[in-house]
Amino acid sequence: MSATLALRSVDKFYGPVGAGVHAVKDVSMEVRKGEIVALLGSSGCGKTSTLRMIAGFEAVSRGAIALGGRDIHLLPPVRRNVAMAFEGYSLYPPLTLRENIGFALKSARLPRGVVERRVSEVAALLEITDILDRYPSSVSGGQQQRASLGRALVRDADLHLLDEPMGQLEPQLRALLRGRIKHFIKERGLTAILVTHDQTEANALADRIAVMEGGVLQQFDTPENIKERPANLFTGTFVGEPPMNVFEARVGREDGRLVLHLPDGLALQYEDASFAAPVRDAILGRDRVVIGIRPYAVRRAAEGLPAIVSASQWLGDQTHIAADFAGGSLVLVEHDQARLKPGAPVRIRVDPASLHVFDASDGNAVSHGTELA
Amino acid sequence: MASLELQNITKRFKGQTVLDDLSFHVADGERLVLFGPSGAGKTVLLRLVAGVIDPDKGKILIGGEDVTDVEAEHRGVGMAFQNFALFPHMSAFDNIATPLAAARASPSAVRAGVEKVAKLLKIGHVLDHAPRALSNGQKQRTSLARALAGEPPLLLLDDPLRNVDAKLRFEMRLELPRLLATRGATVVYVTQDYKEAMALGDRIAVMFRGRVAQIGTPEDIYRRPATREIARLFGDPTINLFEAAPARDARGVHVSLSNVQLPLPQDFAAHAGRACTLGIRPEALHFADASTPGAIPVTVEAETPLNEKTVSLLLAADGRELLLSRPAGAPGPSQGPAYVAAAPESLLLFDAGTGARLGAGGDGQAAYRSGEAA
Amino acid sequence: MEHTSLLERVFRGVALTAVVVFFMFPIVWIALMSFQTNETILRIPPSVVFEPTLSNYRALITGRLDTAAGQLDIAFMRNLGNSVLLSVGSVALALVLGVPAAYAFARHKFRGSEDIAFTLLSFRFAPPLLVLLPLTLYFRELGLSDTYFGLIWVYQLICLPLILWIVRGYFEDISPDIEYAYRIGGHSWFGTFWKIALPLARPGIAAAGLLAFIFAWNNFVFALVLASADKQPVTVGALAFVTASGIQYGQIAAAIVLSIAPTLALALYAQRYLVEGLSLGAVKG
Repeated sequence: MSATLALRSVDKFYGPVGAGVHAVKDVSMEVRKGEIVALLGSSGCGKTSTLRMIAGFEAVSRGAIALGGRDIHLLPPVRRNVAMAFEGYSLYPPLTLRENIGFALKSARLPRGVVERRVSEVAALLEITDILDRYPSSVSGGQQQRASLGRALVRDADLHLLDEPMGQLEPQLRALLRGRIKHFIKERGLTAILVTHDQTEANALADRIAVMEGGVLQQFDTPENIKERPANLFTGTFVGEPPMNVFEARVGREDGRLVLHLPDGLALQYEDASFAAPVRDAILGRDRVVIGIRPYAVRRAAEGLPAIVSASQWLGDQTHIAADFAGGSLVLVEHDQARLKPGAPVRIRVDPASLHVFDASDGNAVSHGTELA
Repeated sequence: MASLELQNITKRFKGQTVLDDLSFHVADGERLVLFGPSGAGKTVLLRLVAGVIDPDKGKILIGGEDVTDVEAEHRGVGMAFQNFALFPHMSAFDNIATPLAAARASPSAVRAGVEKVAKLLKIGHVLDHAPRALSNGQKQRTSLARALAGEPPLLLLDDPLRNVDAKLRFEMRLELPRLLATRGATVVYVTQDYKEAMALGDRIAVMFRGRVAQIGTPEDIYRRPATREIARLFGDPTINLFEAAPARDARGVHVSLSNVQLPLPQDFAAHAGRACTLGIRPEALHFADASTPGAIPVTVEAETPLNEKTVSLLLAADGRELLLSRPAGAPGPSQGPAYVAAAPESLLLFDAGTGARLGAGGDGQAAYRSGEAA
Repeated sequence: MEHTSLLERVFRGVALTAVVVFFMFPIVWIALMSFQTNETILRIPPSVVFEPTLSNYRALITGRLDTAAGQLDIAFMRNLGNSVLLSVGSVALALVLGVPAAYAFARHKFRGSEDIAFTLLSFRFAPPLLVLLPLTLYFRELGLSDTYFGLIWVYQLICLPLILWIVRGYFEDISPDIEYAYRIGGHSWFGTFWKIALPLARPGIAAAGLLAFIFAWNNFVFALVLASADKQPVTVGALAFVTASGIQYGQIAAAIVLSIAPTLALALYAQRYLVEGLSLGAVKG
């Protein structure tokens, strides 16, 4: 499949090239046609700068951006054929929501009937049909955000850019709208890039997620792989809600077992056969490692390591349990209602398949479960 | 330690009733969460208890003593604010020390008190920083430390996790119960996040428009919400709601959804023929075989993962949308046709007009009222 | 976008210089005049090359003015002292009265509070002359005319509304939660005012005080009518330079330099302080 959007070694400097603030560092990525990609990171990670360079609001300091095979990074925004939903909505105040959403279609001189049909279609999708004739200032922030999303989605464009598209949405609508928007984009085969700091949004909508930090693209992969095969400790701990449990461990080998010594005299022990030889060797080749365990992968078992429950919180469809373990805190997620009182002793087990091992010095992944990273 | 009792509290601002004849009781050492949408009056209520604003009517009792006319500084409560409300011209240490200094503790006692609570909240290393030099998480911990420092018997927490990022909020949510337990204080906690409410409350008081709509344990509120409105606010994804009327025939009581008859527990027979709203929690729905009784044929429109769950948007034959959630990794179709079903006892029925939940076998209003009076 | 061309930089420099020259010229010219005799000032064409003399300053400080018609006694230094006394006194009194009032207006909305606050502001709108005539009569009855206290009292018409309105805005900007937090911590309302509200509004109080000082210093009409020679501030005292034998430009210039010196010094000092205060910037969290 051909790449519809390609970033080739893109750099962004604020100030002189080479000396100013290096906001985006040598980012290369390809977004395929019909794909939804999320740029995920905390504030200041470079994701918004990247988006703005693609949209054309920010000059590319070094590198190139191509859309559908043509270089666009020197074109003015209006000639890139890119639709965008802005974080601050940026609706035109003197126009009604209907006129706002239909604005680009009208400018493209589409027949009135077509414009009307498409506007009402997208309005129904976003649950704003009954407020279409109101002005932006008279509707709530969540409704403005939905109108702004609608204005971007309704357009025919080679690429749709969505900047924090759902941050202000009413919580009761979020899950439903996520489903509908994903269906809408997929059904029409649109290519979309969304920028967000909210991993729930990224996980829900994206086919692939680009995790950024410090201007560097940390990992660009499917949500499953980012969760199951994080490239480094940063991605591992950044993505995942609740976050991954992390412990430092000293690597040892006793009686044909791989032993990971944790603080407080605890140790995770695995039969040699648990891991394939290359994985075992990679772990044993290091003196110290950082192990990561996803909260849902921690099992309670009769013959596990001891931990003391510090909090057990039932949220209706999940129970989050925090336990004092190995000098730190361990979080477990269970899908049933667990009735545990603080102070209760539990025993926990980590299957070899759920164990993530990272290098203690550079944080790069060593192994995921029984496979090499 | 102290109990808290509110009796018939009414408060108006500029002719608008913010709190409307509100009464409830918080037992000694209990954690009560005030939950509700913004504008429900939660924050005003907290300020009334703290004594910084006065009620127009009603009484406030702390530890059994009427404190309605007692000044804020003599009520002995601790409070943390949503916007932290740190004193910008004082160091974190001085911020935390204010309740101790007010009690005229000796300098060494102040230092000991501040260091103790700072250690508990893991901010010992930033005590000499000014608030503007603190990260958001540290500000939030400093403001909690200040509320806790005076070891108040009654602690008021006004949405303290609102302004910190998701990760810190999650961390604090798991850490707070222990923190509060070590102090043994009675706690009133205000939040707009239903997860926080369920995780932290011994009981939850759900407030709408200046009134308590339901007060009960998290389990009461989630499994037996008094109204449709409450059911909508608890749960992510939001509960599926459909207009439906239960019917009764030879095979029992059932409700029709997308031309499929979903069996209801026999106790609902009393509501046959009534205009109702049917509520199905997304996690109560599951993929099933076509042969399962009450299986609804649907098309999977989209699949959106959500914190260790997978949420599917389903389209039923009559065009209605349903959300289904299942543990991440549990098998299920990601697109195309499928059948879904829900256990009869997991279905909720509400009166279509009043929105009150209809109790199994009984009158809906009864369930509503008992919720309110509890 | 970040790069500016040479032309742009040159143009910007020229424009800035023009603006500075335009605004600074009168002050610089007066400063130069103050070091010249009346003759050199009045020669045509004017020149910036002259022999500097301190005679103007000497005359002001000794209180002896040499004019073509002979020697004249002037009380300039005394006037300067009066100005300082009157301005400092009225600002101090206005702060003592106005800051707590501003706090009350900011924090306690009671029936009619807006009206009262506006009435106080409206004192600034009334033409002073309108007030002066009845005031003169009352003051004479009360024995307040031609007293420092009487003048300071009248000066409140200038200072109080200014301080009230500026400081009130600053108090309103402080989140009530910050004050609530202090009170709930066990402190009285006065302690809260003193330890929280006042320090946080300090930049505003400083700005208002400075402004009030400048207005008071520059006042002319009240003092002209209500004060006799020995209580007059410099604004009124400067009339003495318009003598029978002509206008003493050199002395006037020197007097201006001396009389703007205190306000200028204060403004420069307070500017640093104001910037510091504003960069505190954490008032709103």
